Amino acid sequence: MFAFLRRRIYTSLVPLLVVLFGVFLLARLTGDPTNLYLPVSATPDQRAEFAAENGLDKPVLSQMADYLSGVAHLDFGESLRTGESAATMALRAFPATLQLAFFTMLLAIIGAVVIGCWAAYRPNSLADRISSLLSMTAASIPDFWFAITGVWIFAVVLGVLPTSGTGSALSWILPIATLLIRPLGVLTQVVRGAMVSALSAPYVRLARSKGAGDLRVVTHHALRNAAAPALTVAGDLTVGLVNGAVVVEAIFGWPGIGKLMIDAILQRDFAVLQAAVLLTAVSIFVLNILIDAGYALLDARVREKSKV
Amino acid sequence: MSPARSLQQGTRYRVVVAATAAITVPALVTGCSVANSSHSDAASPDTLRIVLPQEPPTLEPCDASLTSTGVVVRSNITEPLVERNADTGYLEPKLADSWEQTSPTVWTFRIHPGVTFSDGSAFDAEDAAFSIDRTVNSSIGCDVDGYVFGDDALVVKAVDPMTVTVETPAADPILPLRISFVEMVPTTTSSDDKVRDPIGTGPYKVDYWDHGQRLSLVRNDTYWGEAPEYARAIYQWRTEGSVRAAMVVNGEAELATSLGPEDGAGDLGAAYPNNETTALRIDGTQAPLDDYRVREAIDLSVNRPGIVKALFQGLGEPAGQLVGSSIVGFDPDLEPTEYDPDRAARLVAEAKADGVPVDRQIRLIGRTGQFPKINETVEVIQNSLSKAGLDVKIEMMDTAAQLQYQVRPYPQSGPVMLVIQHGNQAGDAQFTVDQYMRSDGYQSYFGTPGFDAQIDAAENAVGEARQNAFADVLANEPKDVRQFAYIAHMNGVLAKSPTVAYTPNSATGDEMRLSEMTHADAPANG
Repeated sequence: MFAFLRRRIYTSLVPLLVVLFGVFLLARLTGDPTNLYLPVSATPDQRAEFAAENGLDKPVLSQMADYLSGVAHLDFGESLRTGESAATMALRAFPATLQLAFFTMLLAIIGAVVIGCWAAYRPNSLADRISSLLSMTAASIPDFWFAITGVWIFAVVLGVLPTSGTGSALSWILPIATLLIRPLGVLTQVVRGAMVSALSAPYVRLARSKGAGDLRVVTHHALRNAAAPALTVAGDLTVGLVNGAVVVEAIFGWPGIGKLMIDAILQRDFAVLQAAVLLTAVSIFVLNILIDAGYALLDARVREKSKV
Repeated sequence: MSPARSLQQGTRYRVVVAATAAITVPALVTGCSVANSSHSDAASPDTLRIVLPQEPPTLEPCDASLTSTGVVVRSNITEPLVERNADTGYLEPKLADSWEQTSPTVWTFRIHPGVTFSDGSAFDAEDAAFSIDRTVNSSIGCDVDGYVFGDDALVVKAVDPMTVTVETPAADPILPLRISFVEMVPTTTSSDDKVRDPIGTGPYKVDYWDHGQRLSLVRNDTYWGEAPEYARAIYQWRTEGSVRAAMVVNGEAELATSLGPEDGAGDLGAAYPNNETTALRIDGTQAPLDDYRVREAIDLSVNRPGIVKALFQGLGEPAGQLVGSSIVGFDPDLEPTEYDPDRAARLVAEAKADGVPVDRQIRLIGRTGQFPKINETVEVIQNSLSKAGLDVKIEMMDTAAQLQYQVRPYPQSGPVMLVIQHGNQAGDAQFTVDQYMRSDGYQSYFGTPGFDAQIDAAENAVGEARQNAFADVLANEPKDVRQFAYIAHMNGVLAKSPTVAYTPNSATGDEMRLSEMTHADAPANG
């Protein structure tokens, strides 16, 4: 188990480094932030001073070396816009995104298990049709459109939900609903498929022959074996949620890492963008390790394979 | 399955369930509270909630000419010595009771007595002199300096506690108008760095600023003037216009700014002529745009009435000059160029016959979200230009990228046409032509020595002569230079709750005075 995890950590470090270098270089390719921070009348001397103060006058590789040296000392630079530590800003924003992702996935898993199991147990039933509808919806509805339509219907027309912000418990509903579409649809299909296979397996027939009831067969026999593929997909979807929160946070004014990234991109606030992306990448890296660990915990074949 | 294995699996299963519960329960308990969200924006009859399209980049008073900063700071947190009445165009006393030109190059301002800053300290001529000096003569790079004063250094003196003089290198007939852009700050303000939490004499002061989320101003209880009606103003920002409008419709905000006609404000939407004029700025230094006929063809290809009617839903007017009717120098007789696609095509063909490389691709650059329907506007223009025989490629950019093409030094990147939106906040055409029409203007591609001389002459004129001289400058631009194809004088749209009484004016987009807002059932201040 530990050998397996150790190998996963090593293989995950490479993409992490790619992200570190990639974001740094891509941020610089978006252009010079000078015009955003200096007045139109800025003299060449003022521009040069601004560049020197912020290390933008050096060659990109030299800037990168400075950045990596800072990262090694846990110094991620300062925001051009606020002068605050970029790491502080990213760490302050990240929990709001995690909250959003956590509750979305919790609801997605609960919904997918209930609907997926029901659909698998009663093919062509209402649940089966709901399952198909959810998967089609997940594949076809853009989250941006869903969010704006949700605001219009539930906030403006019906007046039952706030449009945006974080003022009350109701503020959670539209952002979570927007984020929920895709994971719920995908996961429902995965659970349904896995359960169809599991329910036709010999051990389920054996359990039935021993007199196990329907609920026990589903929850104690089939679902446990169907959980492994569902967990893997759920993990990938969670990773997607952390990334996908960008659009939702921007629309709903949710103070998370996605909104911070968007603001940092628009303001060419390189240090904040790098800190936010790096923190997101590390969290995804950790999440993947946890998913693999969970998968190994649930499926002995994975652990055995890692010993080879 | 052996019993031991079954037991092991059962135990593992319970561990997973227990772990999930351990994570979920605390999360659910704290679930209603969003991390990184420390202040509430709950409704209160004494609180104004205003939703803007973007967060102010700074609250530095000497950057108050930046629209997104000025809309919060000007006349709310800080105040100038004199201020321009957006309706009449006249300068009115604020922190100065009077001002006069005491010599050709010296203006003298008399300070209003009894004014205090929000920190309790008294405002006097020393503070006024310091504020002007800090804005115009310091090296901190104030936006107001570039926008209003250019390269001129001023000699500022506090003659006595109630008198300040400002000396200019040459006679400046509109110095008081320029001074109206200088927000007064105490001498304790840093001269070396910009500030994020300004102290001013205004009716409000900064309460808190949750970066990225909201900004709160509270009533300044020591304000020297009439106390504003609302005790607090909370600014939030949402990028989507439809969400901003919905917040007012849904009762989550009292005011939402920078809306488009289709954002859904409905009956709560109020349209008003703002200071903004949209135009194409044409780089006449690069072929084929260096040929006058090609630039004229571009101008003739812009279907202004069609764009205003179909895209802006009638909110705006076709433009024939870069300033609106409230600006000194506006020429009421100047008609927008007629839409004439046939003549445009003939001009391009003529130029082509003379060897002008009209097949060279021209980049048409626009800024995403700069005004409602900008994408469609750019597409309509590109389509017309293609029909005229020009090869035009659309490039939409965000603000940072577009600014590289808007402000000198420009990138060397072939022929470019830039969609610009210019708002003259000062009320005098000089602030437009200096930047956009001089040969060396910060936001001008090119000009001619003769046209520069016309501008110089207009800037030295006063009164009626000044109005006429600038009107001539604006009328001559298409004949002498033709750097622009004007599109429209724009209208602003804001959504306003029925509980608030407020009448927007042409300055609202740059300076939204909270003290002018009252409860709908109360008599308006002032």
